[in-house]
Amino acid sequence: MHHISHLLADSRLVIHLSGEFGLQNLPAFSGEINNLLEDTEGISEIEFDFSRVAYLDSAAALAFLTIRQTSAARGVAVKMSNFPEKIGRIFGVIDQNFLHHPPLKTREKREGTIILLGGNFIEFLQDIQKFITFFGALLVAVTHAVLHPRSVRAKDVLFYMTQAGVNGLPIVGLINLLIGLIIAFMSFLQLRLFGANVYVPALVSFAMVKELGPIMTAILVAGRSGSAFAAEIGTMVVNEEVDALKTMGFDPVAFLAVPKVFALMIVVPILTLYADLFGIIGGLTVAVIGLDMSFNTYITQSLNAVSVFDVVTSLVKSAVFASLIAGIGCQRGFLARSGAQDVGKSTTSAVVAAIFMIVVTDSFFAVVLYYLR
Amino acid sequence: MFAAENSHIITVENLTARFGDNVVFSDVSFQVRQGEVLVIAGESGCGKSTLLKIMIGLHSPASGRVLFRGSDIRGADEKELNRYRRNIGVLFQSSALFSSMTISENVALPLREYTDLDAATIDQLVRMKLAMVNLAGYENHYPAELSGGMKKRAGIARAMALDPTVLFFDELSAGLDPVTAAELDNLIIKTNEALGTTMVIVTHELESIFKISHRIIMLSKATGGIIAEGSPADMKEHATDPLVRNFFLRRTSEPALQGGSYGQ
Repeated sequence: MHHISHLLADSRLVIHLSGEFGLQNLPAFSGEINNLLEDTEGISEIEFDFSRVAYLDSAAALAFLTIRQTSAARGVAVKMSNFPEKIGRIFGVIDQNFLHHPPLKTREKREGTIILLGGNFIEFLQDIQKFITFFGALLVAVTHAVLHPRSVRAKDVLFYMTQAGVNGLPIVGLINLLIGLIIAFMSFLQLRLFGANVYVPALVSFAMVKELGPIMTAILVAGRSGSAFAAEIGTMVVNEEVDALKTMGFDPVAFLAVPKVFALMIVVPILTLYADLFGIIGGLTVAVIGLDMSFNTYITQSLNAVSVFDVVTSLVKSAVFASLIAGIGCQRGFLARSGAQDVGKSTTSAVVAAIFMIVVTDSFFAVVLYYLR
Repeated sequence: MFAAENSHIITVENLTARFGDNVVFSDVSFQVRQGEVLVIAGESGCGKSTLLKIMIGLHSPASGRVLFRGSDIRGADEKELNRYRRNIGVLFQSSALFSSMTISENVALPLREYTDLDAATIDQLVRMKLAMVNLAGYENHYPAELSGGMKKRAGIARAMALDPTVLFFDELSAGLDPVTAAELDNLIIKTNEALGTTMVIVTHELESIFKISHRIIMLSKATGGIIAEGSPADMKEHATDPLVRNFFLRRTSEPALQGGSYGQ
């Protein structure tokens, strides 16, 4: 590909180059030349003869300029000569002055642990502040929407109801069916020690309706829809679509967040009922097949364990979860600033924050409902 | 691997592109000559960008083929296409810089991936490329911190990172102010002359077409193919096709409404 030969006369070294010099063989030929320069001592002048060079790219040109520079620093003059017409021009566009200039902006330095810790704490506080601000704005927008139902974009609400609700049915059904199966089986293993197998249906329906149904549904919806909301709004922010909404006089929160909040608040309680049902069917399967319990006994026992109050409060709870998932998803989306990575960050934090808030709110509900009863 | 004196570097043969039933263009054939600046022009929607995407191997055509130095870019396997892609550089319409990387990281990415150069050499090469596009000093900036014209230039620096044989530009100066657009034109001319890089440019900016192009290929939506091919001067002075004349003389096909004559 390339060939390098040299001629040493007195203190003058002439290096003849022929062939192709480019990025691909840059390490090879620059190594060869540097070895040659190290091996020959006592030279005061080097001449590179380019007359038989067929191809030279800018990377190779830079390598020759660098060799000239380092040689000059050692007091050896370097001459480059006999450029074929096309090749000589490359040197004209390489500006060596800039190669060692410091960048206009210094790279961000890593801070010390304490500064990092403090920075993160401040960020955390600002996060809470932003969260409260957003939920205030959301509350205003939702109130306005409730008072002026026609201002709500019904088509959007229906779209998100389909996305979060209808399309979520299979996974919500499957997961809760399995949860029902597992609870029934586990409780059977423990209760049979007391011969109390007849309480398996009660345990399943009680657990499903009061806790597991709402929580499992909420976690699934947070993973499916909360993340989708954050990604959608985040991308819109990055593409300046949110700015476009603002300049057209729309309130982005009312325009983008309210339909999502409404859609989830309608759909998540329905999904929860559906989850409860599948959980009970799961328990029923174990009980009827494994425990020789009759279908009727199972249903009666299940119904005895839960009251209307339990069902209604679980639905209220799931509606609250829904508003949290949608709200947090949208809020995280609006926090995205620039670029694909920001959208990814928003999406992740939407799911994590939503699940955290679901669990916190659930414990709050557990305590309040205990005293309310 | 390296440039050989071969007058036709890319040959496009009987390309047809369609989206579903909608034929964008059919039976398009032309050649790209080594070292030239070829402009693909035409009104919006005529399939310029689609043609470019087929030429860089992003889309596959409905029929026809693209030859690079005589061999089909979609030859035997994916490897062939990747080998071809190492020989080309592409500047996308929106520059497509990776927003999570600094400008120097963007330019260094192909060098780090495809060469086994040491970090110091890569750093020098990156600085040289940035200086070539007048962005010296912007190594540590993120794309979001640059203006539209600077992003384009950073995109060019990244496209040139591996000293490609052919550079493709999609909508070179769309959305840029005249001064920035003119600077880009100069950059193209300078790079073409100094490095001998072949350039294929999709644009409809008349001024830059006349300034930078050696040859023009004009596509038309109406005929779904090439309606004219030639040097810019030829196109402006000798074209007989009304579509071509309208394009280069900036005329519409319907007469403009004039207050006085309206309704007479």
